[in-house]
Amino acid sequence: MITARARLRVVQSRIAALRRAVLTEVEDLNRLIYHILRGGVVVSVAFLLFGFILAGLTGLPLPEHSTPPRSLGPLLIHFTPAGFLNLGVLVLIFTPVARVLLSLLSFAEERDRAYVLMTAIVLTNLLISVVVLA
Amino acid sequence: MATVEVLLLLAVAAFLAGLAGSYLGIGGGVFLIPFMTLALGIDIKVAIATSLIGVIATSSGAASVYVRDHLTNLRLAMFLEVATTLGAIAGAVVGILVPNVYLYLTFGVVVLYAAASMVRVAETAKDRAYRGGEEERPLVKRLNLSSVYFDQEDQGVYRYRVERPGAGFGASAAAGVFSGLLGVGGGFIKVPAMNMLMRVPMKAAVATSNFMIGVTAAASAFIYYSQGLVNPGLAAMVIIGVFSGTNLGTRLLVRSRAADVRFLFAIFLAGLGIAMAARALGLFGGVL
Repeated sequence: MITARARLRVVQSRIAALRRAVLTEVEDLNRLIYHILRGGVVVSVAFLLFGFILAGLTGLPLPEHSTPPRSLGPLLIHFTPAGFLNLGVLVLIFTPVARVLLSLLSFAEERDRAYVLMTAIVLTNLLISVVVLA
Repeated sequence: MATVEVLLLLAVAAFLAGLAGSYLGIGGGVFLIPFMTLALGIDIKVAIATSLIGVIATSSGAASVYVRDHLTNLRLAMFLEVATTLGAIAGAVVGILVPNVYLYLTFGVVVLYAAASMVRVAETAKDRAYRGGEEERPLVKRLNLSSVYFDQEDQGVYRYRVERPGAGFGASAAAGVFSGLLGVGGGFIKVPAMNMLMRVPMKAAVATSNFMIGVTAAASAFIYYSQGLVNPGLAAMVIIGVFSGTNLGTRLLVRSRAADVRFLFAIFLAGLGIAMAARALGLFGGVL
């Protein structure tokens, strides 16, 4: 009787371990996507708030138009509100792109050819926009 | 133009847009664009560019939570994103070239169509989810699109089959065009398309739509940003407002009843349709 119970307990613990392993695998990708999307928005909001604080401190006007990334450097070095507000907006725009890149890596790891192809198409479409941007 | 009052009003509007957007699976652009152009007197092209940024913020903020809670169908999203991004690029290019009057007109027609088609169907998503019978479409099977989601409403795990992948793909391409053209997320097309055509349960459709609109909007946001049409000050207020709104909206969706979400979505579409029709007919004179 006691041995039967002990065996049952061993089987139960094995099933539990298996379930945990399966859950962590699915959970990992979902968790990673969660952190990328959430992190992107949080970092963007941080830059934007910093931009507003700079505007308040320096009295410089808020920018009216977006600045392309290649001319953003000088604005950032001189700590202008325009620099950080533009940077915050750019970080946000790139957040979904980072997520697609992560999806591509995870589908490649699973060797899921159809999905690697589809993700690559989506990424190419996004890159076409970036080429227009630069 | 961007006075302190304007910025604060915009942040409040963005909060509400983020709240409604994350709850209904839309970007919230349909609220932001009329508010910016009508109430704040912002030029429509700047409003569209700013709204696209808000849409990305709604999507990223809301989608993160839905992915963590396993509401999102990641494969279905990837499949449909191929269509939405292609559509978005085409739409954004057209949007920069086309005069404003046509933009308003297109907006009105699209919204009315979506409202009419959603009101016609009264069933709840769950009734649809259980329909068995014939084999899965070969494409659905090959791409493994059908999925499972956990509903906190009744603590149940629901298995659902995705149907009509081709029709859903086409609708998503159209949603992408309107996203790039009008600066909205296109959720008001994607959610009904997934729910009614592809038979994805309402909450999973809302979560998956939210997940997709960020990428769709990013494709066209790049193009507007490069044209200098994004006003960083306005965009910043929108991002901050929307982010706060999504934190509340996602919590509401996870707990609420699927039937309520669908009902509110239909109300939203109907209201939107009436407002846009009124404007298209010139009832609020001088807007165009």
